[in-house]
This record gives sequence, C-alpha cells and structure tokens, in this order.
Amino acid sequence: MNAVVPIIRDDLDAAAPMTGARLVVRSLEQLGVDYVFGYPGGAIMPVYDALPGSSLKHILVRHEQGAAFAADAYARVTGKPGVCMATSGPGATNLVTGIANAAMDSVPMVCITGNVATTLMGTDAFQEVDILGVTLPIVKHSWVVRDPAEIPAIFEEAFHLAASGRPGPVLIDLPKDVQVAAAEAAPIRMRRDPKARLDVTAIRRAAQMIREAQRPLIYVGGGVRIANAIAEFRTFTERTGIPVVSTLQGLGACAPDCPGFLGMMGMHGSRAANEAVQASDLLIVLGARFDDRATGKLVEFAPHARVIHADIDPAEISKLRHAHASIAGDLKAIIPALDPGTLAIDPWMIRCTTHAMRHRFHYEDAPGKGVFAPALLRALSEAAGDAFVAACDVGQHQMWAAQHCRFAAPHAHLTSGGLGAMGYGLPAGMGAKLARPDAHVVTISGDGSFMMNIQELATLKRYNIALKILLLDNSSLGLVRQWQELFFEQNYSEIDLSDNPDFVAVAQAFGIEAFRISRREEVSAGITRLLAAPGPCLAHVLINPKENVWPLVPPGKSNSDMIEGA
Amino acid sequence: MTDTIQILIDRADGSLQRLIGLIERRGFQIDRMTIADAGAHRDVRVSVSPRDPTRCMDVLGRQIDRLVGVRRIHAAAAQMSAPAAPRVETEAVSCTA
Repeated sequence: MNAVVPIIRDDLDAAAPMTGARLVVRSLEQLGVDYVFGYPGGAIMPVYDALPGSSLKHILVRHEQGAAFAADAYARVTGKPGVCMATSGPGATNLVTGIANAAMDSVPMVCITGNVATTLMGTDAFQEVDILGVTLPIVKHSWVVRDPAEIPAIFEEAFHLAASGRPGPVLIDLPKDVQVAAAEAAPIRMRRDPKARLDVTAIRRAAQMIREAQRPLIYVGGGVRIANAIAEFRTFTERTGIPVVSTLQGLGACAPDCPGFLGMMGMHGSRAANEAVQASDLLIVLGARFDDRATGKLVEFAPHARVIHADIDPAEISKLRHAHASIAGDLKAIIPALDPGTLAIDPWMIRCTTHAMRHRFHYEDAPGKGVFAPALLRALSEAAGDAFVAACDVGQHQMWAAQHCRFAAPHAHLTSGGLGAMGYGLPAGMGAKLARPDAHVVTISGDGSFMMNIQELATLKRYNIALKILLLDNSSLGLVRQWQELFFEQNYSEIDLSDNPDFVAVAQAFGIEAFRISRREEVSAGITRLLAAPGPCLAHVLINPKENVWPLVPPGKSNSDMIEGA
Repeated sequence: MTDTIQILIDRADGSLQRLIGLIERRGFQIDRMTIADAGAHRDVRVSVSPRDPTRCMDVLGRQIDRLVGVRRIHAAAAQMSAPAAPRVETEAVSCTA
C-alpha cells in the first residue's frame, strides 16, 4: 500500500561504521517497531540518513503534531508504544501538544527529537530549544543522550517505561554530535518486571463492602482497556449484575448489549448514569481518576457513596475523592479477585435500568428536516459493526459520537479526553488505520477541528491510507457557540466559520474522493458509499448550526443539575 | 503547615527540575531546600507547604515516588532537622474534598 518507493542504499551493511544514528535505527528495529511517524530536519538528519534500508516504515507527515497524534492512536489501537520523530527547535515544539495529549490519556509513546550538538546546547544556537525542559511536566520520563553507547539501553528503557505501569509518553533527545559519533553496539536485554503482589486485605475489604452495599455502582474508566482487562471486566459485571457507568475513555468496556450499562457519566453523560451515581451507596471505581468532566462539582458528587478505588497508579488513589478501600495494581488481576459472590440488589438494578430505558436517546423523531448528527452517527457505527473504530476530534461531534455510537470495545473509540485537543481526529485516524487496516476506521470531525491538521490529507493520499472521514460541518465552533448561547447571554464571540472553504473541493485537490450529504434522505446512501470506498474518502455533512449537545451539566454544577434542550 | 520530604534522586539531565516542577505544579510551594551529593544520586531535602487546604502531602509523596529516578522518599514533619520517617501508606487522607 505504500505508494512511495524508498531509496535502497547499499552502504548499510555490517561493514559500514556504527554510529549513534545507526544505533537508533537498529534499536528501533530490535524493539519490534514497525511504523515511525516523523518529519526530518537539520538536527535529526543523521538518523534519517540511517533509515533507508531498515525494516522501519517511516510515515512522512506534513506537520510534527500529526506525527505525535498518529503515533498516539497507533499506540491506543495496538497497545504497543507509538513512535514519532522530529528535528530540534520547531520540530520538537510541534510535538508538544501530542505529547501532552498522550500524557493526559496515559498513552505509551516514544518521541525522538534531534538537537543541536552538545557543544552548542545552551548557546541559543539555530533551531535550539531545551525540549527536555519544555516537556518535563508532560512526559513520564525523558533523556538527553550524552554517550552514543548508551543508545540501546536508553531505548530499551524508554519502550519499557512508556508501556509499563501507567503508560505515558517518553522523550529521547539526541544531540547531533551523538548521532554522528562512532559507537559500539551494545546488546539490548529485555527486562522482566517482578510480578506485583495484590493487596489481599484491601481486596477482601472491598469485596465485603460490595456485599454490604444496597446500591453499588461500577464507575469504569480507560484503565480497564489499558490493563487489557475487558474480558475480566465483562465477566465481573455479568456475574454480579452491578450496573455500570462509564467515563469518556471507558466507553466500550461494556459490551454494546450489556443490560446494566447506563451510559456515559458527567457533563454530557446520560441522565440515567448521573442519577445512578448520585443515588449510589458504593462506587466501585475501576481505572478512572475522578476527572472534573466526569464528576461535575466534586463536593456534591455521589454524596451517599463509599468508594472502592482500583487503579494501576497509586498516586491517583484519594487524589480527589477519599477511597475507603484503595487497591493499587493491575486491574487484570484485581477485578476477578473482587468477586463478592451472589448479591441481592435486584430493586436497585431494576431502578437503574428502568431509568435508562426511560431516558434513552431517540432518533426517529429528530427535529427539522436536515441531517440529524446523532442519528447519522448511530447509523454509521451500526453499519460498520464490530469493525468500527472512531477517531474523534474535539467538540460537539466528539460528544455526539460518545453518546450515540456503538462501540464493540474501548479501542474502537479514540478520543482526546484529558487534553481535548482539536486536530486529533485526522492524524489519529491515520495512525489507527495503519495499525488496523482491516477495520472501518472513521475520523469523526468538525469544521473547526478539521482545519487544525488538514495538511495530513496529503499523507493519506501519499500512502493511500483508506481512512474514512465524516466531517460534520455546522459552520461554527459549535461547542463554544453552545456555551455562549447558554452561559454567556448569547454573546456569540468569534465562533462563526461560515466562510469555510469548500471541503469537498479541498479534499479533491489533495486527490481524495469526497462527496456531500446535505439532506436527511441522503444519509443512508452516504454511509454506504463512505464505508465502501476503496481508498481514503471524505463525507462532508452539512448540519444545523444551532444544534446543541444534550443533556448537559452546566460547568461547575453538580451532576444532579442536568439540563435538557427544548 | 510545612512538611519536609527527603528524596534520593538520580543524578541525571533534568532530575532536579523534574522534582521541583512537580512540587510547584501540584499546588505546593517550596519554602526551603538543600541538596547534598550522594555519589550517583542527589540527596534532596525540601520543605513544602500547600497553597490551599485541598492539597494533600500524602498524594504529593506518591506523585514524587512515581518519578523515574527517585530511589527513596521519606516524609518528616515540620522540622528540617527532624529524623526522617518512612512514608505512611495511602489509606488515611485527611485533605479530601
């Protein structure tokens, strides 16, 4: 599928001198890396010089932020660290938003940056930025390589750290002189972490708390996917019958037809989910961190509930809400060990599921005659089935996707949750489609977000990546407009995008198939065409600029104070 | 309320910045700090106080503890000169909302 034929060099045989740069490439190969998303430049040129002829598949993006987001999505889908690479200075700073995104959502990512030579560091040299200093708050760890002989060991540690425990991004900064210096290749040893012991006392106490509870509720987050504990989680919910609410990142943890799943909690969560949280007497928090978008006003969150908090990261436990039972460790082992036996919670279960039925979303009586985005998203995800993978941008479309799409598994929903970074969708879709060429990967974007990384259409075309793009165009920054309508007395300030370009023509100019959906009766055929397209394809969907995301918890309010639209 | 934490941290690029940045970023101010040589490591004693009552020393301790390169961390109450005591585990947090 790679339309670009790499230049094969014949000087990369064993006889060529080993340098830092060649050690970088060899380390990546030995660590099992297949894709590297990057962009060359002066200070990383020795590594690019060593790339041709290697087994690595380099994807040349058109902006380094695209490389970081693509690597992030590749990692979310595969569970392996994504790799992105950039030069010093502007190349490195362009990665920063992507690194922060990976940090906020606990995504394993290895970022490689070139830097000026060590003798020039600290002299304000051309394209010099202290990228280690810039990224300190948003990396799990980082290195400046001073000795090329350390490269194999540092890369091995970097990949291990990125993916182990609570995953996150790491950064390796490579001064140019270290890249060109002669170096001895050191073997890479694979490490084994000692298996952590479970806190049996805490688990026993937690199981007892579950048995004592009248209204227990599971609050599931992205940690269950990261721990690869979906099967254990589904068995636990099935055996106990405890109802479940989910964070944005936890969507898909429950099977789509799970009867006890009440929906997403929080700001744009379902009424049934938020009501259950407020009424529960025990929250069983699995791989989640009490994010403010999930809890609403924290002091009024789940006021009657005791808390069991299980997470891989001990620093998350009791950070924002006191845990009566705290279990730090691997959810894959913890969840089965929590089994409380048979519970007598039928009245609570019936109450929760009755509320869920009463407040379920309706699609058949959509207002107006135009395209109703929630119904379209529901139909799209159902048409794509279990092979559906959504790479969302940020805004109203992101919340509609979370509320209305059917996700067979959590890795079917890629979304910038913690950082909320507009521009994630297109490059993320690219990385996800490369990781899962068999899947129906669809970027769900809005006209604001799409323009933030629109240059990656060129990357789609170059490598013929068969990503599908659903561009929901309301000619405005819709979520900001919604807040201005509801909370800023309809003072619409700087949200109008009615002079957007013709997105169909733009996509076609990049050589990508594109078509428009502007009426409700065109939706069904449009979905079929989008999913059936053999290559990359964009569906430009015109939607009502006044449409809002409902329900909504106003910012700073309790989750009890949900409001609905007219 | 000032607490003193003693941290043994690797001598590596950015390790002190990483530590100081974390303390400040997580809502504490640094009142006093001493750094001593400890071979391949640095022995850091830092007195910190929370900027608001919701900031919890115990959580800060665990956030420092997960920094790569932190070899050991002890909490000692109030006085720089007080003997370091082992950090207490998570359960009893007094500063929750």
